[in-house]
Amino acid sequence: MISKNYFSNSIIRKTVSILPLVLFITILWNGCAKKLPDGKNISNNNYVLLNQDSTKVNFPHDYNGKILVATFIYTNCPDICPMTTHNMQLVQQQIKSEGIKGVQFAAISFDPQRDTPSILKEYASIRDIDLSNFNFLSGTKKNIASLIHEFDFLAIPGDTTTSGKNRIYFFTHTDKIFLIDQNGIIRNEYRGSHVNRDKLISDIKSLED
Amino acid sequence: MILLLSLFTIFNFHSQKAIVKNAWLRPAGKGMNSALYFDITNNSGKADTLFGVSSNTAKVIQIHESYMKNGMMGMREVKYVVVKPRSTFSFKEGGYHVMLILLKKTLKPGLKETFFLHIKHERDIKINAVVKKN
Ligand SMILES: [Cu+2]
Repeated sequence: MISKNYFSNSIIRKTVSILPLVLFITILWNGCAKKLPDGKNISNNNYVLLNQDSTKVNFPHDYNGKILVATFIYTNCPDICPMTTHNMQLVQQQIKSEGIKGVQFAAISFDPQRDTPSILKEYASIRDIDLSNFNFLSGTKKNIASLIHEFDFLAIPGDTTTSGKNRIYFFTHTDKIFLIDQNGIIRNEYRGSHVNRDKLISDIKSLED
Repeated sequence: MILLLSLFTIFNFHSQKAIVKNAWLRPAGKGMNSALYFDITNNSGKADTLFGVSSNTAKVIQIHESYMKNGMMGMREVKYVVVKPRSTFSFKEGGYHVMLILLKKTLKPGLKETFFLHIKHERDIKINAVVKKN
């Protein structure tokens, strides 16, 4: 009886004593591997969208095999969305200067009725955005609604007020940039207007083949 | 003539206690919206109020504030902002901005536009803001 008790106690003691070591190794292992956790797979559905040149883009199927940095904007947004767009542009420029290939950028409008391809084109060109791997996308109202839902992105139109005969409208919206891997799986998300660009770039690098 | 000159001098030397610096605008196409940002410094000993901005650049101009609620970003009109004595109030990205609604012209980077800031205790301040690249 006594020896049995002693035996089990010693096992418990040993287990307890190596616990910090196990924990330490686990933390070290995760830290070194830097593997981003898998988020939602957004490639189950496909949406036909139009880019700034009115070219059809299958979203997200056309991005299969590529790393995709995606966000949602509306071009009548004067403050927050331009900050997000600029952050995307700065990341794009940094990626290019480091010679990293296989990364695509997409800004999808959640105001498709107003953001036609030509409006999106002007929005991009006035900012001198390199469109070689950056699309500004729009679609039908229905398509966009279910697409943003897929990303758990919210865009709520505010009360439309008028000033004289001018209609004024705004959206209250989620402020996010998403990182999607080569298989259409969301791997991380960031605050769009205040993204830590170095973190986003290092996450992109961790997904490179 | 002397009277006219002295009147002009008095008027000209009326010291402006509010100073505006770093005025800039977002680029945007005609018919779209933009935002004006600047730093306004109140060098006087009493608080002052900025209650309006006017310009020919846009059809509607409002003072706005961006805010975060439940993780979402929105913006709302504010009727005025108070600039405390001997301090600077910044209109900056993600915070307060002067909202230019329905632009009458395309604001291309490099272009300069004129605005008049309406302040309670002073004459209107005329400022020139330059359109930035982003
Ligand atoms: Cu605003």
